[in-house]
Amino acid sequence: MALRDEVQVGSKDPSGFGVHRKRFVYFALIGLFVVQSGLTYTTSTEVPDSAATLSEQARHGEALYREFNCTACHQFYGLGGYMGPDLTNVISAEGKGPAYAKVFILYGTGRMPAMGVSEEQADALVAFLGAVSATGTYPVRNMDLTVWGTYREMHTDEK
Amino acid sequence: MKSEWTAAKGFVVAGLIALLSGALFGVIGSWQHVIPGVVDAIPFVKSRPLHVSLVIAWIFLTAVGGVYHYLPKIVGAPLHSTRLAWLHLAIFIGTGIAVVVSYFMGRFGGREYWEFPPVLGIPIVASWLLLIYNFFRTANKHKGPWPAYLWMWGTGIVFFLITYTEANLYLFPHFTGNMVRELTVQWKAYGALTGSWNLLVYGTAMVVMERSTGNTAIARSKTAFLLFGLGFTNLLFGWAHHIYPVPSALWIRVLAYGVSMTEWIILARMIRQWRGTLEEGKRGQGSMTGRFLFASEAWVFINLGLALLISIPAINLFTHGTHITVAHAMGSTIGINTTILFASVFFISSAPITKNLRVGFWLFNGSLLVFWLCLVGAGMVKGYYTVLSDLPFQSIMLRARPFIVGFAVSGVGLFIGLWMLTWAGVRTLLRTPGDPAELDIHSAFLVEGPGSPAPENGHAVRQGSTTTLQP
Ligand code: HEC
Repeated sequence: MALRDEVQVGSKDPSGFGVHRKRFVYFALIGLFVVQSGLTYTTSTEVPDSAATLSEQARHGEALYREFNCTACHQFYGLGGYMGPDLTNVISAEGKGPAYAKVFILYGTGRMPAMGVSEEQADALVAFLGAVSATGTYPVRNMDLTVWGTYREMHTDEK
Repeated sequence: MKSEWTAAKGFVVAGLIALLSGALFGVIGSWQHVIPGVVDAIPFVKSRPLHVSLVIAWIFLTAVGGVYHYLPKIVGAPLHSTRLAWLHLAIFIGTGIAVVVSYFMGRFGGREYWEFPPVLGIPIVASWLLLIYNFFRTANKHKGPWPAYLWMWGTGIVFFLITYTEANLYLFPHFTGNMVRELTVQWKAYGALTGSWNLLVYGTAMVVMERSTGNTAIARSKTAFLLFGLGFTNLLFGWAHHIYPVPSALWIRVLAYGVSMTEWIILARMIRQWRGTLEEGKRGQGSMTGRFLFASEAWVFINLGLALLISIPAINLFTHGTHITVAHAMGSTIGINTTILFASVFFISSAPITKNLRVGFWLFNGSLLVFWLCLVGAGMVKGYYTVLSDLPFQSIMLRARPFIVGFAVSGVGLFIGLWMLTWAGVRTLLRTPGDPAELDIHSAFLVEGPGSPAPENGHAVRQGSTTTLQP
C-alpha cells in the first residue's frame, strides 16, 4: 500500500506510539472481544427459544444434514453452497412443504442427486428443515430502506 | 541446521501441491454447475470440499512456511526448535491426507469451510500449539519493539486457534439446540478465522516487502500499526456482516455494520496513495516478487471496494447468498492471499523471471478478473430476481447461466495460469540448495535513495549456496 512513501526514515520511534500504549489498546480490544463473545453465546438471538430450539428428531436431522453434506449445495439464510436453492423456508413456503421436500430428499432430481437417504432419515431431515423454517424468513423481500444504508424489518418479513 | 529451512521449504512445496490439486477440484466443481453430473466419479458433494480444504491448506501451509522461513532472519537467531517445525509439517501433511481420504470415502463433517469429520481437528489443533510455542519462543529473542508484522503473525496464529475452537462449539448441545445461535456463533468464528489467516498473509506481505526492498522502516511506521489495528478490530467485531439476514440480536448486526465501515479509511488511503503505489509497482517489475506484490495491491483495492459495498445492509440485502459473496471470497483468497503468497514463494525460491512465468502471471491475473466479473454478474442476476421477483430458483439460475459458463471457462484459464506458476515455484524451490538466495532478488528489487538501510542480520547470514543461518 505504498507504505514506503510516507515513512520517515531515521526517526527514533517511527510509529510514534509507544509499546505500552500499543499493548494497552491491544489488550483492551481483546477484553471487549471476550465480553462480546460471552454476550453472543447467550443473547445472540431474537427468536424465542420455543421457536429456535430443536426437537430430538430435528437434532437427528441436523446431524444427517451434516453427514450427507447437504451444505455443499444448499443454504440457510443465504449461507452455504450455491448449486441448489436456499432451504430456510422450504417447509413453510406456499406450494411446498414436508411432502414436497421429502420427495426431493428421497429421490433427487436431474440436478439434485439421490443420496441414498432412508425413509426414517428423510423424516428427520424434514423435521429439521421444519424447525429452521420456524426461526424466520429468508430472503427478506418486504423491507424499507433507510438513509443509513440499513433496512427496516431486517428479518421479520411477516406480510 | 539444514533442517530449519528445509521444514519451511517443505511447507511451501506442500502448499503449492495443495494449491494445484485444490484448483483442479475447483475446475471440476465449477463445470458441475454447467453440466450436471459431469465427472461422476467425483460428485459435487466431494469436489467442493476437496477444493475448499485444499486451497485453504495452500494458504495455511505457505503462510506458515513463510513464518518458519523468515522468522529466524527477522529475529537474528535460529528457530527455537527445528524439530518441532518438522513435527508440525508431518502432522499437517498427515492430517491433510486423512481429510482427502475421508472426502473420497464420503465421510463428512458437513460444516461450511471445514467439511471434514471434526475428529481431524484434533491433530490440527495439536500441531498449531507447536507453532504457537515455537513462534513465541523464537520471536521473544527479537531485540527492540516488535515491527507490525510480528504483531500480525502472533495475533493471527493465536486467533486462528481461538476461532477454530469456536468453530467447533457446535459439538455442544447448547449451541446446536438453537438454530439461530448456532448460525450466529458459526459465522462469528468464521469471520474471525478468515481474519486471522489474513493477518498471517498480510504480515507475510510486509515481511516480503521489507526484505525485498531493504526498507525496514515500513513495518515500524504509524501507518503499519494503524492498518494492523483496523484489521484486528474488524476481525474481532466485524464478522456479523456475513449474517445480516439471520435473525440474530440487533446489537450484533449494528456493531458489525459500524465496525465494517471503518475500512473506508483504508480504501481512502489507497486512493490517496495510488500514484506512489504505481511507481512502486514499476520499480518492482524486475522480479516476480515485485510483480505479485503489485498485483496484490490492485486486488486489495478491488476487493476492499466490493467488501465495503456489500457490508452495507441495504446492498447486502441483494448480494447476500449470491455469487457476489463468492466473488468476494475468491477475490480475497485468490486475488489477495494467493498473489501475496506467490510473492513470498518466488522470493524464497528467488526464481528469475522467465517467459513461462510472465505468461503464467498474466494468465492468472487476467483469468481471475474475468472469473471475478462473471461471479459478480451471476450474483447481480440472482440477487435481483430473488428479492424482486417470484421466479423459482431454477429459472433464476437459467438467467444467470451465461455468467456461470463464463466463470467455468475462465476458471480453466486460471487453473492453467496457476499450473505454470506452481510448476516454476516447485522447480526453483527444489533446485535451490541450502538457504534460498535472498540476496539475488534483493539486488533485482533494490530501492535506491534514502529509506533503504543496509540489510541487517538475516540477510547477511547467507554465505555460499549451502550455508544456512548459524545458531
Ligand atoms: C449436489 C448438490 C446437492 C446436494 C448434495 C443436495 N441437494 Fe438438494 N437440491 C439440489 C438442487 C440442484 C436442487 C434443485 C433441484 C431441481 O429443481 O431440480 C435441490 C432441491 C432440494 C429441495 C427442494 C427445494 C425447493 O425449494 O424446491 C430440497 C428440500 C432439498 N434439495 C434437500 C436436500 C437435502 C436435505 C440434502 C442433503 C441430504 C440435499 N438436498 C443435498 C442440489 C443438491
